[in-house]
Amino acid sequence: MWLWFSKLGSPKWFYELSGRWLPWLVIPMALLLVVGIVWALLFVPPDYQQGETIRIMYIHVPFASISLAFFPLMAVAGTITLVWKMKLADMVAKVAAPLGAWFTALALMSGSIWGSDIWGTWWIWDGRLTSMLLQFFLLIGVISLRSALEDSDAAAKACAVLSIVGCINVFVIKYSVEWWNTLHQPASSFSLSDEAPNPPEVWVPLVIMIIAIYLFFAVSLILSTRNEILERERRAQWVQDLVEAQ
Amino acid sequence: MNPHRQKKLSIILFVAAGLSVTVGLILYAMSQNINLFYTPTQVAQGEVRAGQRIRIGGMVKEGSVVSANDSLQVRFETTDYVHAVPIEYEGILPDLFREGQGIVAEGSVDSSGVFHASRVLAKHDENYMSQEVKVALDAAGVNTDNHPSSLILPES
Repeated sequence: MWLWFSKLGSPKWFYELSGRWLPWLVIPMALLLVVGIVWALLFVPPDYQQGETIRIMYIHVPFASISLAFFPLMAVAGTITLVWKMKLADMVAKVAAPLGAWFTALALMSGSIWGSDIWGTWWIWDGRLTSMLLQFFLLIGVISLRSALEDSDAAAKACAVLSIVGCINVFVIKYSVEWWNTLHQPASSFSLSDEAPNPPEVWVPLVIMIIAIYLFFAVSLILSTRNEILERERRAQWVQDLVEAQ
Repeated sequence: MNPHRQKKLSIILFVAAGLSVTVGLILYAMSQNINLFYTPTQVAQGEVRAGQRIRIGGMVKEGSVVSANDSLQVRFETTDYVHAVPIEYEGILPDLFREGQGIVAEGSVDSSGVFHASRVLAKHDENYMSQEVKVALDAAGVNTDNHPSSLILPES
């Protein structure tokens, strides 16, 4: 296992392996995105109280749920950087921060549009919305911290520490709707029965969209990591060979 | 794993655990401030001063909504089914506003116990379904009242 672990840490090995993985992620992602979006926009029945506005949920929930993955991901990568000094882990951590900021911003914006129509306000300082905004600012903080420090080793360590600390906020976001009273509703529980709240006709397209957006996250992360590998390893022989082969 | 790395890893885990406990305690201490709204029971029991700007969250009591014919003035009661607080409001209500709906209102209580709202927001629960399913459930006598759990006091 340790051999496998150190092998995965080699940027060259990851570059080659991820190149072979990519089509197996991109093809299902494209299929599920098309099926999910068409289903959610055209075939989901209007909600009994929210009407057509319910369709925003099929964008909002996938983005909101995947944006909670970024801090744990960066914290794991950061811990590997601090303890094992693996180059690849820091590359992943570096590209994850701006991606996370985009995903968090999309969750906040889609939520605002939903709220402005249904709640009657686009923003309220309740536990869920505020902790999610805090995550956005923490990610901006991680990005700024990395670009502020000249020494890339020091920057990697500082970002790793901030990512581990920022992880605590993920629990606050997740449980905010249960610990405190908020305007935001808690997470739904799905029902297998057709005649119950949250029946399959509501959640099956949602699950499709969630898987599609998770794959989109994986593809974006792998593509940006590959980019970062080429950037940092540009003096390595294997990258030179790759460029010449083009 | 060599001892040096093991030591580093345990320092990281220790610091992370310590920070989590600290943040947890701070949030627990501040929970009354983090809560978005007061319940009608808290207001009825005098937990807030008259004139203090607060939010109140509850259900719109069935049969309590009275709207003026010539203005946007509306009067209704909000309840957690233990206590009810009368609310006066002038302005546009969210589309979801109706009797039996969860709401959060911003404003203040006057000395006679009436809440003067400057803004009324709708709070819905986490149950989504089509009109057909809703009708079928109502016909079958299943309770699908839109009652966000945080608006109702736990039954004791």
